[in-house]
Amino acid sequence: MSKRVVHYINQFFAGIGGEEKADIKPEVREGVVGPGMALNTALGQEAEIVATIICGDSYFNENLEEAKATVLDMVKKYNPDLFIAGPAFNAGRYGVACGTIATAVKEELNIPVLTGMYIENPGADMFKKHVYIIETGNSAAAMRTAVPAMSKLALKLLKGEAIGEPKEDNYISRGIRKNFFANERGSKRAVDMLLKKIKGEAFETEYPMPDFDRVEPNPAVVDLSKAKVALVTSGGIVPKHNPDKIESSSASKYGKYDISNFMELTSEDHETAHGGYDPVYANIDPDRVLPVDVLRDLEKEGKIGELHKYFYTTVGNGTSVGNSKGFAAEFAKELKADGVQAVILTST
Amino acid sequence: MDLENQKRVKDFTEQFGGENVVVVLGAAEAEAAGLAAETVTNGDPTFAGPLAGVQLGLRVFHAVEPSFKEAVDAGVFDDQIGMMEMVLDVDSIVSEMNNIRSEFSKY
Repeated sequence: MSKRVVHYINQFFAGIGGEEKADIKPEVREGVVGPGMALNTALGQEAEIVATIICGDSYFNENLEEAKATVLDMVKKYNPDLFIAGPAFNAGRYGVACGTIATAVKEELNIPVLTGMYIENPGADMFKKHVYIIETGNSAAAMRTAVPAMSKLALKLLKGEAIGEPKEDNYISRGIRKNFFANERGSKRAVDMLLKKIKGEAFETEYPMPDFDRVEPNPAVVDLSKAKVALVTSGGIVPKHNPDKIESSSASKYGKYDISNFMELTSEDHETAHGGYDPVYANIDPDRVLPVDVLRDLEKEGKIGELHKYFYTTVGNGTSVGNSKGFAAEFAKELKADGVQAVILTST
Repeated sequence: MDLENQKRVKDFTEQFGGENVVVVLGAAEAEAAGLAAETVTNGDPTFAGPLAGVQLGLRVFHAVEPSFKEAVDAGVFDDQIGMMEMVLDVDSIVSEMNNIRSEFSKY
């Protein structure tokens, strides 16, 4: 008899809809839905997806405990041998949902679990220690490589076979160390590595440094009533018609725009360039994303010294961490040079 | 290919029959054109849309392919597509489209 698998996907991959349907509650369907079709085929005779659980990304993340409990109950009913979530690629909330539910299933039901994500998905960093996360490309176009990698690891987990190193089985390193006997002693390996490095050849460290991205908080602003405050957003607010053509996803640039003549932003003069969410309300009143109106009030009331003349903006949707850091490194210098003492960052 | 367009292609194919439908693409890159072409032949490779697991096998061409260009009015082609034909990587688009068609097209 083939092994039983339960699969978790979001509203998008279930074909229910995009952002506008992200608040749907968990539901369960017998058999495969969406990417489960590909997974089921790849699993072959040895395992079968018996049920698919679908939940909206917003619903899951906004009702975490309740959604987790409901989905766990649904999974339990099917008494599976394995649980698969996603793949979520670079979709942040989907990744967090996949990681959360996979971890919960593993801990509560004590069965093997796996999911798949792009390395920069916030869910990857949060859950890589807890569950196997197959490393995927950053968009659903990478499904064709994600599915074989996920089904290969799924079958290994189901058969109780030994799981290889992260590179061998394509999962994101979990930071687990295992002892083994090396053929050569440490000093020789270190010198060999050093020689390669000196010659400019490729070498592989035996102890990769963790990639911490910790931001030390700055000291508090002493007197906000005298501070120059700037607005910076990843919510894509731009002057009407997006003059610099900032991309609606995977932005390669940011914009700097003068707001000294604006007491507030309106649909006449500003809009959002951001894709991936319903922009209607941001377009009707761009202050909802970039609160120029409220900051003008605070300026008048003397709560802040002044609002900086320029705001900086980009689109956060799918934009790589590398690009984002590059943008900020550039404009943070300008902000400092302009005497800005505090920055308010807003998103969608 | 977005979910709406997948649904349109599926509906038209049901209405008129696959042998009477030709899909013309305008994607700017070979990879994107290939994904869209795969969607209307072998099914949605992202398995998210109405064409997930549906193998329509339709005839599909990109607007810069010679076979499409020869079939339409040269003046209109120049007006509407001529500029893009100059800036796109036509060779890689053509080769991607040929690959997908030879692998998945039924007509």
